[in-house]
Amino acid sequence: MGPVGQTHPRLAAKLHRRVCLVLTEDAVLAEELLARKKLAAEVAGRLSDRVLLVRPGRLDAVLDELRKMGHTPQVVNGSR
Amino acid sequence: MTPAPADPEHWSARAGAALAGYAEPLLRAVAARLVRPRANQPADELIDKAVATLANPPVVDRRLRDLPDAARALLAVVGRSGQPRWKVGHLLTLVTALGHPEGFAPVADALAAGLLFPELPPGRPPVDDFAAWFGAAGVLSAEVFAPPTVSARARGENLRLPDLANPDREVGGAPRTADGLDWPLRLAAVWQQVGAGPVRFTQADTLFKKDLQRLQADEVLAAPPSDLPVRVPDPGVLALLWAAAAGLLADTDGELTAAPLPAAWDAGLGPTLAGLLAALPRVEAWDPVAGYAPSDTGLSPTPSAGLLSLLLLAASPGWVPVAAVAGWLWDHHPSWAGTLPDGGRAAGADWVAGFLLGVAYPLQLVEAAGDLVRLTPLGRHLLADGPEPPTPPAFPQTLLVQPNAEILAYRQGLTPALVGTLARFARWKGLGPACTLELTPEQTYRGLESGLTLPMIVQTLTRHSSRPVPPAVADLLRRWASKRERITVFASAVLVEFGTPAELEAALARGVVAVRLTDRIGVTADGGEPTLGQLRLVANRDYEAKPQRCVAVADDGVTLAVDAAAADLLLDAELARFAVPVPPDPGVSRKSRLDPELLRRAAQQSSLADIDTWFRDRTGEPLSPVGRLFVLGPQAAAPSAARLTVVRFPTAELADGVVQWPETRGLIAERLGPTAVAVAEDGLEPLRRALAGLGVALAGPD
Repeated sequence: MGPVGQTHPRLAAKLHRRVCLVLTEDAVLAEELLARKKLAAEVAGRLSDRVLLVRPGRLDAVLDELRKMGHTPQVVNGSR
Repeated sequence: MTPAPADPEHWSARAGAALAGYAEPLLRAVAARLVRPRANQPADELIDKAVATLANPPVVDRRLRDLPDAARALLAVVGRSGQPRWKVGHLLTLVTALGHPEGFAPVADALAAGLLFPELPPGRPPVDDFAAWFGAAGVLSAEVFAPPTVSARARGENLRLPDLANPDREVGGAPRTADGLDWPLRLAAVWQQVGAGPVRFTQADTLFKKDLQRLQADEVLAAPPSDLPVRVPDPGVLALLWAAAAGLLADTDGELTAAPLPAAWDAGLGPTLAGLLAALPRVEAWDPVAGYAPSDTGLSPTPSAGLLSLLLLAASPGWVPVAAVAGWLWDHHPSWAGTLPDGGRAAGADWVAGFLLGVAYPLQLVEAAGDLVRLTPLGRHLLADGPEPPTPPAFPQTLLVQPNAEILAYRQGLTPALVGTLARFARWKGLGPACTLELTPEQTYRGLESGLTLPMIVQTLTRHSSRPVPPAVADLLRRWASKRERITVFASAVLVEFGTPAELEAALARGVVAVRLTDRIGVTADGGEPTLGQLRLVANRDYEAKPQRCVAVADDGVTLAVDAAAADLLLDAELARFAVPVPPDPGVSRKSRLDPELLRRAAQQSSLADIDTWFRDRTGEPLSPVGRLFVLGPQAAAPSAARLTVVRFPTAELADGVVQWPETRGLIAERLGPTAVAVAEDGLEPLRRALAGLGVALAGPD
């Protein structure tokens, strides 16, 4: 925080709304998920080594597959 | 969530919506009786005044007094049931049994008085006549509702039911009263099971066989209720249907899913049981003798005969033989006797015993002594306006958490709120005088997904246990909870992309975003909207909207230039299917180049039509001709090379003539354009001679 009364300049930003993504604890876990064919088919791309971008409208399929793999993902609903 | 039946504001709003669905002449006719406006007012004002009138007890009382006896009895029954919404068929059955066999007239009178309203599906044409609406909706599905502000004023009406108590019968043995927890426990168990896997209905609105068999065989739901003087058929099915009617389960297009537990469950046992009593008339496909009994051809007798059984007890202060209730129904209910299995009156007594002892007794509405029954203080409070019974003493420390992760729950200390909380994170394993639950990874996970936290779970167990939670169990819960932290799925997040990593650092420091996804992209902890006051938005993308055009194809047909401001996160992944990035030039937009091999592979994995769709969405044009060459070239017939001579005529007419004239037509290899034709090398001299015969000299080639 800056001194009292000092205001920060606004940060230029681009918003990406209603994005569905999977954030893993580490890169190895992301690799493990991508090695699962059914899950990989629902992934549109990889934002980073821990972040997988899910195709629009495929949330339920991803959750089903994660649970079938024995994972218990924390689901954050965000703007929904 | 299904609204609490007694929520007056909800029902007033629904009354307003129903009035808005009336044709104006009908609206004015209804308002004239309910509001009695002095001047000709706009329709909107009439609706507002009508809704306000419904909340005015003295006026409602006057309007009720103006109604015929049968309509008043109808609204009284609605009030006593606690359920504002009823099928018209059931209401007609009830008023007929109460001695008013006037058909639709009582419903029509209450509708015309503005004290009862039709349930109108959205998009329905305006109602201009109640009888026509009823005829169109049909007796099996037409539904009406009475706002609680009306039915509460009507419920005191004398229904002229007989006192069936037999003072000559001695009460054999000590009267038995249930603790009221049996059905809340079963409903919580079925709610938990539906939470683990939704239940679907067939198109005929019946249960699928596998779901039915599961409900019938489930060791928790199908177990006979404890301390119950009668067998309940298909208790699991009744629990499912009842849970749906009470709002514990949400029905979306024929699929039941677990909804948040109703607020009444946190308010104590009395409000919980009152809510379940109010929901009971909405249970259609269950019968106290037959069990699961779906029907699409007739009205179920359960809602009407069940309520009448309770109202008969409400009219009888003393002990009533079950057979006397059955006898009254036999003589007065217009359709109930016809639905009983062979056995006549004896089967009727079984039906009434099944309902009163199997449903109402565990709900703490009825106390039993042999075949004699009477309302409990709670039953008398809910059905006969008796005083509210005192709240039972609390025994908060009623759980015993065992080292093997099982929980013993002693019923005397259970409350609906605790039952509901336990159902969120521990699996019900047995319902009895002492219930058993089991802590499992799956149910702990569901509990955390429902909004509980690990400290909340541990605190619930600690606060309600007589002994500390065993360390091994606390450790298990911690491990299961931490496993959930390994993968976070953002269902619908707002990602914030900054221009530089330094700007993302600044945003993290200011708390604009909480989680770093890449070196330039962050997200808030819950994936929600960031504080926009700290941001200057340069672009906004919605990932559930149609893909945005953000790529330009260069004249060479292979270079794709990305408009960075309009691009989205999916674009790079999509581009990578058929293009390779071009090394970036400073100050020049990001570019990719179509790659023949990638493009061909993409066409094999999907289709050229899909690729064209992507190009139309992203560039505004289909795949470029170069791209089509990359894809289709290898599949097409091999192109051929040949030496030809081009002959160019001064006008198109002459060229047409040469192409048409039989003497020269066979010499033309191909028409190349309006004035040009191609001629094979060995055809040139014959063409020259043929044209010379016409006086046309063909010059060249030089």
